Amino acid sequence: MPLLVKNLNIEYPGKVLFKDLQVEIEDQKIVAVRTEVLDGGTTLLKGLAGMLDGIDGEVRLDGIDLLHMDPAQRALKVGYVYEQQGLVSLYDCFQNIALPLQFHTTTGNELVESRIFSLCEKFNVDRQILNEYPHALNDVQCRMINLLRALVIEPKLLLIDELEGGMSERVLGDTIDTLREEQKNNAMIVIITTADDLLLDQADYSYQIENNKLRECH
Amino acid sequence: MLDQQSDNLKIPEETLSWSGTGKAILNPFANFYHVSMEIIGLISVALKASTLLLNKRRRQLFYALFQRQVYNAGVSALYVNGVIGFLIGTLLISRLFDYLPRQIIEDQFGQIFMVVVFRELGPLISGIILIARSATAITSEIGYLRLQREFQVLNGLGINPVFLFLLPVFFAFPVSLFLMFIYFDVIVFLSSFAVVWISDPSISFTGLLANILSQITLNEIAINAVKAILGGMLIGIISIYFGAKVVDSFTEVTESISKATTAQLLVFFIINVLLSLLAYTQ
Repeated sequence: MPLLVKNLNIEYPGKVLFKDLQVEIEDQKIVAVRTEVLDGGTTLLKGLAGMLDGIDGEVRLDGIDLLHMDPAQRALKVGYVYEQQGLVSLYDCFQNIALPLQFHTTTGNELVESRIFSLCEKFNVDRQILNEYPHALNDVQCRMINLLRALVIEPKLLLIDELEGGMSERVLGDTIDTLREEQKNNAMIVIITTADDLLLDQADYSYQIENNKLRECH
Repeated sequence: MLDQQSDNLKIPEETLSWSGTGKAILNPFANFYHVSMEIIGLISVALKASTLLLNKRRRQLFYALFQRQVYNAGVSALYVNGVIGFLIGTLLISRLFDYLPRQIIEDQFGQIFMVVVFRELGPLISGIILIARSATAITSEIGYLRLQREFQVLNGLGINPVFLFLLPVFFAFPVSLFLMFIYFDVIVFLSSFAVVWISDPSISFTGLLANILSQITLNEIAINAVKAILGGMLIGIISIYFGAKVVDSFTEVTESISKATTAQLLVFFIINVLLSLLAYTQ
């Protein structure tokens, strides 16, 4: 099984968010997790991404333990899309998207550029905003740049924290369709936290956070 | 168990559990000790992160941010450094010509310039300008980056925030400070010469310059270089340290700027005094 979560416990001081979480997800699936305010959706994604210290359990992607993996290697396997902000203010959008490739790989500048332009085209992101700095973006543009940065590394696991905020149904639907197209070229698992019915319907599986666990909805 | 905010620049709040008068007397010393230890720790983190520069791609990423810092802190300071240097040159040094006999001026201008401007005023005023116009900006910038959770973003990308946020400042501030010393000394000399020349055109430019250069020994240059390296590095690190203390609120940024500026002024004055003393013993 490509993604295997076993006995995952996530807790903040005084609050248990997830206890003995067990999930198995097949390759090339889109999984939606229905979230409500402060129910731990974001923390779950960060936990799965190995971005949190001090959590117990196992998260295995293609058999590799994400929680104990070298952060640099993990950054090339797991893409993370923040609900808000998530970009580095010192860099413009192009540099933000290119950053993981430039820092972790020896991919040439021309290839980096062509990969970014190709993603812009696929996801209908205006190339002109690539020269903008994060402060000049609206929420949707910011999330799309986050998405492109996560995809530029061709991740095996893509974690998206509430993609829908401020997006029209058409843009949201197109984005999901494009993600499915991307999955054909790059066999990745996509997990999205959402409160949007369209996303929940379009996902291959959907879950709900209930009693510190994930309960499958359909 | 999770921390509320986790990243690589986590600096614990040090608390001591003494009570009463003992606490009141000893706490400032204990706090000073802890802050000093943490700043030394941050220097070692910066030095360790410097090994990432061995990689060419990463060096390119670093270099862009380093250039930005040198431009903001060092090159853009030419204007303010120039104005202050010009005022000191015209008003202070040139006044000496009115008070001292010409023979003494011709013989000892180089020594006076070297001690007053090159050794004392240049480093001190340049350091104060660096603290006032660049270090405060860095503290505020780092505080903002913390509020925006950008340290966590970089950690999530497998990139050490020290590499992008600390190292450029760590290396750019000493370079900038050294540049500022040079502007200051050159402008003070040129402006003081201009004023003197207006009142006495027989004074030779090359003569005065040679007089000054004959006084600037290798030791003096080395001591100024140490002032720039040590002073610049510590000013930068202190900015990062206090900026990184910001956790949740914008008001913490202003508090950090205040604390950082106080610490930087104290540290820089102490470095200057100690190194100047060393120079006087030569």
